[in-house]
Amino acid sequence: MLAAQLDPLAASLFSLMAIASLLLSFVMLGSRWLTDYLVAFAVQSWLIAFLSAAVGYYGHYPELYLIAILTALFRGILLPYLILKIIKRQDVDREVHERLSPSACMVLGALLVLFAFVVSSHLGKSLGLTGTVAVLAMTVMLSMKLIGFLMLVVRSEALSQILGLLVLENGIFLGSQILVPGMPLLIELVILFDLLVVVACFGVLIRYLVAHAGTSSAYDLRRLVG
Amino acid sequence: MVGHLLAVILLAPLLAVLGCLLLHRPRFVEFLNLAAALIAFLAVLRLLPLALAGPYLFWHAYLIVDALGAWVLLSVSSVYLLASIYAIGYMRSTGEDQRLYRFYALFAGFALTTLTGPLMNNIGVYWIAIELTTLVSTFLVCFELGRESVEAAWKYIVIVSGGISLALLGIVFYYWGGSFVLGATYDLTWSTLRQVAPQINPTIGLMAFLLVLIGFGTKVGLAPMHTWLPDAHSEGPAPVSAMLSGALLNTAMIGIARFIQVSDAAQLGTLPRTVVVAIGAFSLFVAALFITRQTGIKRLMAYSSVEHMGVMALGFGFGGPLGIAGALYHMLGHSLNKPLMFFGAGNAMHAFHSKRISRIHNVLSRMPISGLLWLAGAVAITGAPPFGLFPSELTILRAGLTGPYTWAVFVMLILLIVIFVGFLNHFRVMYFGNRTNLVLASAPALKKTLSLWCVVPMWMALVPLLLLGLWWPQTFSHYFAAIASQLASTVSSP
Amino acid sequence: MTRDILLQIGQVITVIALAPLLQGVILQWEERVQRAQGPGTFQPYRDLWKLFHKQGVVPETASFIYWIAPIVAFTCMLTVPILIPVLTDFPLPQSDMGDILGGGLILTLGSFLITLAGLDSGSAYGGIGSSRAVMLAILAEPTLILVFVGITLLAKAMLPFVVNHLLVQQPAIYWSPAHLFLVAAFFILLLVETDRLPVHSSTHIEVYMIDEARILEYSGPLLALLKWASMMKQFILYTIFSNVLLLPWGLSRQGTAVGALAAAAALFGKFLIVALTVVFVETAQSRLRYYRYQEPLATSFLLAILAIVANQLR
Repeated sequence: MLAAQLDPLAASLFSLMAIASLLLSFVMLGSRWLTDYLVAFAVQSWLIAFLSAAVGYYGHYPELYLIAILTALFRGILLPYLILKIIKRQDVDREVHERLSPSACMVLGALLVLFAFVVSSHLGKSLGLTGTVAVLAMTVMLSMKLIGFLMLVVRSEALSQILGLLVLENGIFLGSQILVPGMPLLIELVILFDLLVVVACFGVLIRYLVAHAGTSSAYDLRRLVG
Repeated sequence: MVGHLLAVILLAPLLAVLGCLLLHRPRFVEFLNLAAALIAFLAVLRLLPLALAGPYLFWHAYLIVDALGAWVLLSVSSVYLLASIYAIGYMRSTGEDQRLYRFYALFAGFALTTLTGPLMNNIGVYWIAIELTTLVSTFLVCFELGRESVEAAWKYIVIVSGGISLALLGIVFYYWGGSFVLGATYDLTWSTLRQVAPQINPTIGLMAFLLVLIGFGTKVGLAPMHTWLPDAHSEGPAPVSAMLSGALLNTAMIGIARFIQVSDAAQLGTLPRTVVVAIGAFSLFVAALFITRQTGIKRLMAYSSVEHMGVMALGFGFGGPLGIAGALYHMLGHSLNKPLMFFGAGNAMHAFHSKRISRIHNVLSRMPISGLLWLAGAVAITGAPPFGLFPSELTILRAGLTGPYTWAVFVMLILLIVIFVGFLNHFRVMYFGNRTNLVLASAPALKKTLSLWCVVPMWMALVPLLLLGLWWPQTFSHYFAAIASQLASTVSSP
Repeated sequence: MTRDILLQIGQVITVIALAPLLQGVILQWEERVQRAQGPGTFQPYRDLWKLFHKQGVVPETASFIYWIAPIVAFTCMLTVPILIPVLTDFPLPQSDMGDILGGGLILTLGSFLITLAGLDSGSAYGGIGSSRAVMLAILAEPTLILVFVGITLLAKAMLPFVVNHLLVQQPAIYWSPAHLFLVAAFFILLLVETDRLPVHSSTHIEVYMIDEARILEYSGPLLALLKWASMMKQFILYTIFSNVLLLPWGLSRQGTAVGALAAAAALFGKFLIVALTVVFVETAQSRLRYYRYQEPLATSFLLAILAIVANQLR
């Protein structure tokens, strides 16, 4: 298991990047402006791509270099570009209806991180992996998922919800790079392209939302009840 | 032989998609889709007995044809055929001839992705197939570009994408657990996972199972993850609702069934099955509540889907040969019955120009034949004899009584009765209720009679359903026994 | 032994003497960055001199709190330098009187009395200032305690000297995420406690004032004591930030006179670095609305929790 046999420098490099990604997801949680979210997401994707390359280097998985380059290209450049085009096309550029203020979101996010930490340390103890970067990877993965779901719950702008879903995917990707770096190349590639298709579909749907429902905020989508 | 049939099943809808995109003539695309549905259905019928002879692997073990998958394919392809026939009549009356080719391209594409789901051997690729079904069906749901349909499509895609990302997390955990035993790189197929399951750390195994249950449960529409289902099923056009309800939910259910099998192999105790049973019971409860107080016909049918998915989850959760047989028979029965209901609802919507139960009254005066068929379908879907859902529900109840989940059996029984009363009450109001002449006068009269395309599939659904209720074929029993032994799922001894 | 006592006294004198200089440097640089002339680096000294030579005016409604608050605040600020590493990196006599938490509590005691003094004379602005200051304290104190907890967990000891040694000896811990997050969290708290933007308004309009509104009733020598106390609080917080967390090098090891003087100079050098950062942060931001003060403090809270989690995973 790769994470169990890393030398300390590699382990601290991985932990630094994992924690920086987590911090960026908090930046996303705490900001009101959509371009802020997007920039944080792009930087996070680049960090994860860099992490992928580092795992490939230390674990001797040459195919991970390809994954790293594709991640940086697709998640780091292409997806933010597409989303930026969507933002520019609509005239709403920040969260207008706040269900929960950003600072309360961040405190809630911190509590979720604590919960993820408790779960991961319990899992790590039962696996005998305490003290390695695996527990950190699992904490970051679970907390990014929980924060992604928090963003989906709390945010009402369509774009914030897309970015919440992408943060969910980023979390899984980060965890899988550290925990299961040997996952078959095919699966990773297909998931990457799948994200592209998802964002394209979302782009079209947002256009429909604005054209037919007159709003891009889920706050106003209240017709279907019961 | 099996390989050829598989190629036919997959190529027919694919060629239909390409054909629809290339040639835009409305009549042509209708028949192209219908032809693809018919070919696929016949191929599946031919495949069904052959699949019994054991799992066949194709394409470097990426595709698998086994008995369980073939049964799900039967349900899916029969819905595809029925919905394709109905769609011709329905879409013609909506007057969307300009965009019709897009509809049929999406429809055939949706059928293609739904047909590939049960055939996927590699679990990661199965997940991708489910994700693709979501993406394609979203555009079908919002096809009639109106405010509510776009809202429904948005809710659908956000909730289901979030849910199945949880399933991806569970799959990653399974892969991780297996990597302790099998090394860092290996192909995660259903059989590999089953083999390695006893050696996966129980904590990982349990957590992964719960994650995939919740994740794929979102796709299946089990409560409390069902919130997208009423909206998506009620806002799409009727043939799309039929496909969503009758075909798509089954494709996700097969994943849950296979994962239950994995967790049995891992011997994690009774918690996994208990959670499945609890979620199934909760789905029944939520469905019962919302059915009794429903105001829209298609939402009523959607909650009925939630109910039946709950019943199937209970069947798979109870396990054992009886439970699995009941669940599978229920799957086929539901796949025949639910399209019937949605077709009837679509016809009623066209006759009365409204989706609301309060606006629909005296159905038999406007749609004599299809009204009768619809009423028969309503009696069938609440689980009454002599239709096909009655023996399957009875079998599931029997299966539950033999295991440790007798509480669930009683809950299920009570809730089924509640749903029976609530559901048929709405139909009583619609068919036999008294309305003032004021309301009658305000509804505009029907311009033309329902086309034959809209009525024939209802017959085609009802007759087999009646037959299934009257006669449980022996061959099906053999089939289910074979599947049950393949799943090797016995209720864990208390 | 006497040398140590002398060093301890020297620490306190350093704090007293250099605190106005730090304030002057910060204010001067702020003005310079905004291309104004600035009041001169030694202006706070001149202000204190002026105030000590003025006659104090006492409101009629003042009670004994009015008199004791400045004295107690000043005394608290004299006490804290005894506990923290200002010049030397080995514990001096009486430095075990209180640990990190104790030092924090003594600082809060001074602040608390000034808040009472703001309410004491019954003026409206004093009341507003006190209530705002307490509100800010409610938001900031838990975060401060959490940061102290983080520091304690990092070093597994509550004495600032142990933390200092740990960070100097083990660069791996210095660069670990736990430590970096604690630095970031403490920096935000530093901005809040020393009343810098985004929390403070640098205009002299009473409606915006938070801390300054509490001392509006004071004049003359009592005002001088209060101002000096707030400058010393700033100096002490900077000292904790620099010597314990951020730049723990440059403290005198043996305690010779030359070493002490060099340590004082190094201390001031570190302060210049921190002050530069504070000036940049302050110039780049505008004042937040009062109800949004929770946001930087929530960020600080979050960073403290992340630091604790990261520390457990180290």
